[in-house]
Amino acid sequence: MARKITLISLATSLLLASPAVAEIGRVKSSVGPVQIQRGTTQLPVKPGLKLEQGDYIVTGKNGRLGIAFVDDTRFAVGPNSKLKLSKFGYDRTRQTGEFVTEVDRGSLGVVSGKIAKSKQDAMKVRTPTSMLGVRGTKFIVDIR
Amino acid sequence: MAAALLLGGCATSSVTLLADDGSPNSGALAVIEEDGSQTVLNQPMTAGKLTSGETKVRPVKELKPAYQQLVGSLPAAPAHFTLIFLQGTTEVTPASRPVLDLIRREVANRPGAAIEVVGHTDTVGSEEDNDRLSEQRAAQVVRVLVGEGFSEDLLFATGRGEREPKVKTGDNVANEANRRVEVVVR
Repeated sequence: MARKITLISLATSLLLASPAVAEIGRVKSSVGPVQIQRGTTQLPVKPGLKLEQGDYIVTGKNGRLGIAFVDDTRFAVGPNSKLKLSKFGYDRTRQTGEFVTEVDRGSLGVVSGKIAKSKQDAMKVRTPTSMLGVRGTKFIVDIR
Repeated sequence: MAAALLLGGCATSSVTLLADDGSPNSGALAVIEEDGSQTVLNQPMTAGKLTSGETKVRPVKELKPAYQQLVGSLPAAPAHFTLIFLQGTTEVTPASRPVLDLIRREVANRPGAAIEVVGHTDTVGSEEDNDRLSEQRAAQVVRVLVGEGFSEDLLFATGRGEREPKVKTGDNVANEANRRVEVVVR
């Protein structure tokens, strides 16, 4: 049931992703097998790791990851999950921005932050079949 | 029959809306289909199937254990502190000293912590000037915190200008309570 992404398309989208240097959030907790990939680099996953726009996250069986973003958004990534922090732009002074996460499989718990409040559907979660417009809330996405 | 059972056992993708922290209510979430049509979830403990085509919303009696575990593994909400400084200096008031200790403790209790220092001004002066002023103030406080032993790698200075007054005033009103620095620990 899970949508498969081939290595080739993964590599292509990584090449297309614009290299952002701004920190968008930090890893707060990591349990079990968790991989975070930036470009072609596998990052050492541990609390305090600074995340950037475009990072890929993959968790294995029993893998879990907690993230706190700079706009106060919080993520709990569940086991057997695969997602991409596709787009994250945030103006700390105005507390406005845009945040797009693509969830290809697995589960994601979200408490939205300042970006979701800044404008209708400024925060989106893309799933294989749907687009979620987040309007300031707490929710779970489960992609089978 | 066997196929039906198999299908029945294969759960579909879904989104489940929860109550906000410390509230019986929830925010809202829209499921936007490819054709642009939307289904809005706005009641806590409701779920929508994520399949192509129309989204059906149903109530959820109880969160399944896997979801409870997921919610339980969410990082803690940010903690907020306010520092007051002696007029025209970067020296914290004696009353603010214990706040520094609270911040220290909060950071120690949060693996992978980040500290955002947020400057605020009153409404005297232009918005642009206050943006600059508040950021300068925040940057000064970052240096103070580094001097207090906080790692520079954890710190970030932000100026919010006059956008978020503690006390609502008209424009061009001097107000000491609004000239403050907040510290957010995430």
